[in-house]
Amino acid sequence: MIQVFHVSKEYGRYRHALTDVSFTINKGEFVFLTGPSGAGKTTLLRLLFRDELPTEGQIVVNGRNIGVLPSSRLPYFRRTVGIVFQDFKLIGRKTVFENLAFVQTILGTPPAEQKRRAYQVLKQVGLHYRMNAYPSELSGGEQQRVAIARALVNEPQLLLADEPTGNLDPALSEEIMHLFAEINLRGTVVVIATHDVDLIRRMGKRVLTLDHGRLREDPVRAPAGLAAREAPFLPA
Amino acid sequence: MIRVAVRHAFAEAWSIARSGPGLTAVAVGLIAVALYIPGIVLLLTQNVARLASSAEEPASIVATLLPSADARSVAQAIAAAPEVAQVRIVGPAAARRRFERTFPDLKEALATLEGMEFPTSLEVVLRPQSAEKGSAVAAAVARRPGVDQVQEEAPFEVRFRDFLKIVRRTAFALGALLCAAAVLSVASAVRLALDQHRDEIEIMRLMGATETKIRTPFWLHGALEGAVGGAFALLLLAGTYVAAGRVLAASPHPVLSLFWVRFFSAGTAALFPLSGAVAGFIGAALSVGKARL
Repeated sequence: MIQVFHVSKEYGRYRHALTDVSFTINKGEFVFLTGPSGAGKTTLLRLLFRDELPTEGQIVVNGRNIGVLPSSRLPYFRRTVGIVFQDFKLIGRKTVFENLAFVQTILGTPPAEQKRRAYQVLKQVGLHYRMNAYPSELSGGEQQRVAIARALVNEPQLLLADEPTGNLDPALSEEIMHLFAEINLRGTVVVIATHDVDLIRRMGKRVLTLDHGRLREDPVRAPAGLAAREAPFLPA
Repeated sequence: MIRVAVRHAFAEAWSIARSGPGLTAVAVGLIAVALYIPGIVLLLTQNVARLASSAEEPASIVATLLPSADARSVAQAIAAAPEVAQVRIVGPAAARRRFERTFPDLKEALATLEGMEFPTSLEVVLRPQSAEKGSAVAAAVARRPGVDQVQEEAPFEVRFRDFLKIVRRTAFALGALLCAAAVLSVASAVRLALDQHRDEIEIMRLMGATETKIRTPFWLHGALEGAVGGAFALLLLAGTYVAAGRVLAASPHPVLSLFWVRFFSAGTAALFPLSGAVAGFIGAALSVGKARL
């Protein structure tokens, strides 16, 4: 599903956000990406949905080398990925339903189908009764659930979440994590960046630990000695 | 799918307009003014030009006859020349009516001059291909017995038409300048809307919206803003036309009331919202196309 080959990311000459990171995530996996602040978690996630390009190395998602993906094809790749942010990124002037419909419009989903799908995913996250509420009328946990629903509404194959519980209390964080676990059980690959070690421990899933831009711990390591030049170059 | 995209583009364009009502109003107003100014000149010149060549073909030469002359035989003799298309006889009564219509203030003074009669005159219309022979024909007419004096009208007609052309060109140049200002105003309104919608644009991009899908509502917003401005200009012009017509009906002007009779044709009227839409679209395209949103 995701193959990261010797990826490095530099900002300028002296800031190395990621250095020689390699790992593989298979279909159906649930993976935590952890490490202290500034370890490179967010950078890695941004590379995975090609918000940024690696300085070195290759990233293959669903068999596509996203590093060489032409920008005209980037939107079509993004439609296969759901993204959840720490700050939710909901549109304040749109209702919960409109926030979800907005995303479906991008795909040209007919209005009736938009409504059906929106109701379905909102029911999945337990917010179907708040379809007409505005984000400002919701609690932090509810807003995050709407953001998750939005990420799921187009049925992505991969769900990326950047500190999705960063603004939530422990009880709500646990609730959200169980929601992610449920989503994963339905077949979606889930990658969550978080520094909440207790939560990770309780979930008992695979953990990738980053420290100063290097992958320190991964129970499922990429084959040792695979150099960047040896990585299979895949067309976009 | 296309229906969903179109609906989305219109809904977002409306939302963009609502997000900055002040700037939208300024942009619409500027486009309306930019199109109104050349529009009013076009309306005036269209009607004046109509007067210049209305009813009858304008005379190239006017010959005033002596009281003793036989107007009909002189007219027949002049009409026999190959350069002449038509000769009209304007009798004393017709000449008096024309004078009274042109100078209504002098009507009473004219009435006091008993026994004063306007001379008979002949209006000579040349064939189009003989227009440049006007002076030669005028000289020939002046030599005819019974002709008192001859006035060549063609240069005036040419000067009048040239004047109208200059007025129109000046108005269009001014309109173009104002349109440029309006385009920049739309560009600023769209730029501000872009800033206000930056979060949404980012979300759209992250969720897989194509650049066309992101930009279309802004293009549409600019074009609609321009079209509304153009429609306002047309409404203003129609209002001006009706109001001027009423004023002229209340106190008729000798010349104005004669020519103020025709508004734009449907085709010309449609050009106003269309030009506005084009100006608005250019403004939006300038703004949206400047950089990565």
